Amino acid sequence: MSKPSSRPGAAASKDGDICPVCKSSRYLNPNMKFLVNPECYHKMCESCVDRIFSHGPAPCPIAGCKYTLRKPRFRKQTFEDLKVEREVDIRRRVASILNKQESDFTGLKAYNDYLETVEETTWNLILGVDVDATNKRLKLWEDAQRAERHSSVNRPSALQGDPSAPSESAHVVLKKGNLQRKVQTAGNAKTKTTAKTDSSNGTPEPAAHEAGAGRTDAAKKPDTGFSFAGLKAYTGPPKAKPFDPYGGYDFAFQYYTLQPDYTVEWLAKPKVDPENIGGGWDIADWYGCAMFDAFSGLGVFIGDEVAEKERLEHVSGDGEIGTRRAADAAMVPTGDVIMDDVF
Amino acid sequence: MKINPEYKDGIQLDAYREIKCLQELRHPNIVQLNSVFTTKDQTISLVLEHLPLGDLEELWKNKDILYQAPDVKAWALMLSQAVWFCHANHILHRDIKGSNVLIAADGTAKLADFGLARKFADPGRAMTFLVITRFYRPPELLYEATHYSAKVDIWSTACVIAELCLRDWFLPSDTDAGQLSIVTETFGTPTEESWPGVSKLSKYVAPENSNKTRGRPMSWWRERLRLLGEDGVDMVRGMLRLDPKKRFNADEVLNHRYWTNEPKPSRAEELMLRIEMGKAEKRKREDERKRGGAEVESGRADKVARKLDFGSMRK
Repeated sequence: MSKPSSRPGAAASKDGDICPVCKSSRYLNPNMKFLVNPECYHKMCESCVDRIFSHGPAPCPIAGCKYTLRKPRFRKQTFEDLKVEREVDIRRRVASILNKQESDFTGLKAYNDYLETVEETTWNLILGVDVDATNKRLKLWEDAQRAERHSSVNRPSALQGDPSAPSESAHVVLKKGNLQRKVQTAGNAKTKTTAKTDSSNGTPEPAAHEAGAGRTDAAKKPDTGFSFAGLKAYTGPPKAKPFDPYGGYDFAFQYYTLQPDYTVEWLAKPKVDPENIGGGWDIADWYGCAMFDAFSGLGVFIGDEVAEKERLEHVSGDGEIGTRRAADAAMVPTGDVIMDDVF
Repeated sequence: MKINPEYKDGIQLDAYREIKCLQELRHPNIVQLNSVFTTKDQTISLVLEHLPLGDLEELWKNKDILYQAPDVKAWALMLSQAVWFCHANHILHRDIKGSNVLIAADGTAKLADFGLARKFADPGRAMTFLVITRFYRPPELLYEATHYSAKVDIWSTACVIAELCLRDWFLPSDTDAGQLSIVTETFGTPTEESWPGVSKLSKYVAPENSNKTRGRPMSWWRERLRLLGEDGVDMVRGMLRLDPKKRFNADEVLNHRYWTNEPKPSRAEELMLRIEMGKAEKRKREDERKRGGAEVESGRADKVARKLDFGSMRK
């Protein structure tokens, strides 16, 4: 094995091309693929993964790594730098749980505070600060959000549970594989220490403040992991309105009712005119039209409208009132133009 | 715009009609007139809202835009509401056709071009029968009736809806006489029994018994307008009755069970997406064509180097 690596040309790609588990190199096996598992991000070749993990979960073969890995979670790495790979994974996970938008908040300030909390949470996970506590809070928040969205589904009992038993659910998650006892004790110790840092100044200020507030309110409200000031309550998708064929418009007559027929002397002829009947002209249409023309001005007070308009113009202090009024006057067709109907 | 000495306003008639009507009408499915201004060289400019997504005629002609029964229902509903709003305000549009129903950026259809619109006529006053584009002209106008009602718009609306389903012209013809013959062929020959008063119309000629047609059977309608479903066909047939007195009015159209029965009309955003997708598809194809024949999709000759063709370089 040392032979190819000692060759000067192969030195540059030495690290990337030798599997740290079986020590086989790409030189001997050109089709070799390297995979990582998002638990510990240790790289190994595909044949090693098949060999070690085909029969179920097994501890990571890299010396000193305490994680238990499963085969289905192995994948090809996207980024060359495994630190970046890990950070992207963490960010993706945090973003899928803390997924509020600016429109969900009452203001920009609240939204920026929220974003800061998100960033603090992300960096806690990346740098390994308070990992258990942060994970627990994320879990609580995720459950709370889900319960809010699907209010028909029973609220998870973890939410109603006593918040003073913090590491309960975290331990259930970790209790797998042959390392469970060690992890449990280690986890207990860790939560104790994190609780200490939490109470001092381990977490950022707004989050710590809110966590504190959550604890005092615990009697009233279940702990949701995070609480954000200025977050609007979830109202659910807007309900579909009942179908209105008129699209919300209504032309009910306020000042008159339309009769089916009117007896007027000069209307006697058009009523029976056969040409009108064949062409479809309907005198009822014209009744509606004429009545509308006669009465639609009722209830409209131009004086008031003008006064209102002037008041508005006065308030805005517009210098071009005169020209604008002239333009308005030009817009309105003057009523006294009498046109012969040529159609 | 030239000044016409015949009219005191000095404005061309269609512009005058358009300004007059659009100023009155405010409805989400009617094009909005924002302002009117004149310039020194005697032109009138109307500022209308911007409707960038084309019109209903473009829509059915563009085969890249795929749409379904709910989409047709949504467009038909918007058009019917616009027509109803005009009629409720006593305005006849008189030029409803696919290319006059424009589509806004958010997918809603808007009725435009009020160049032939007018108010309902007073008793005894004749109106011109030379309105409405031929394919959409109802039989009473083909018979040159001068006293007609809002029902002429209903006929045109039904034609537009039918076109959307067919993705083709509904009643196409070359001449006015041809239009009349295709209408009678489709709906049967009108007689004094089926249409009281039709014989008084100036162009009506009483048919000889041998010439009478009975109209298309129901199966023809169901087959052609499959996208509308049973209720839709019933509504469109009600809107296309020969006798204008028996034809639905705008209220009856909007209260038809077609709108409330399944499927529900799609929302405007969905319509917008369909149109945008179709247009993008078309653009893509045109780009490819411009690039010169594009690549052969797949086949045995894929891996073979293409023969170099210098023929196009010769002039």
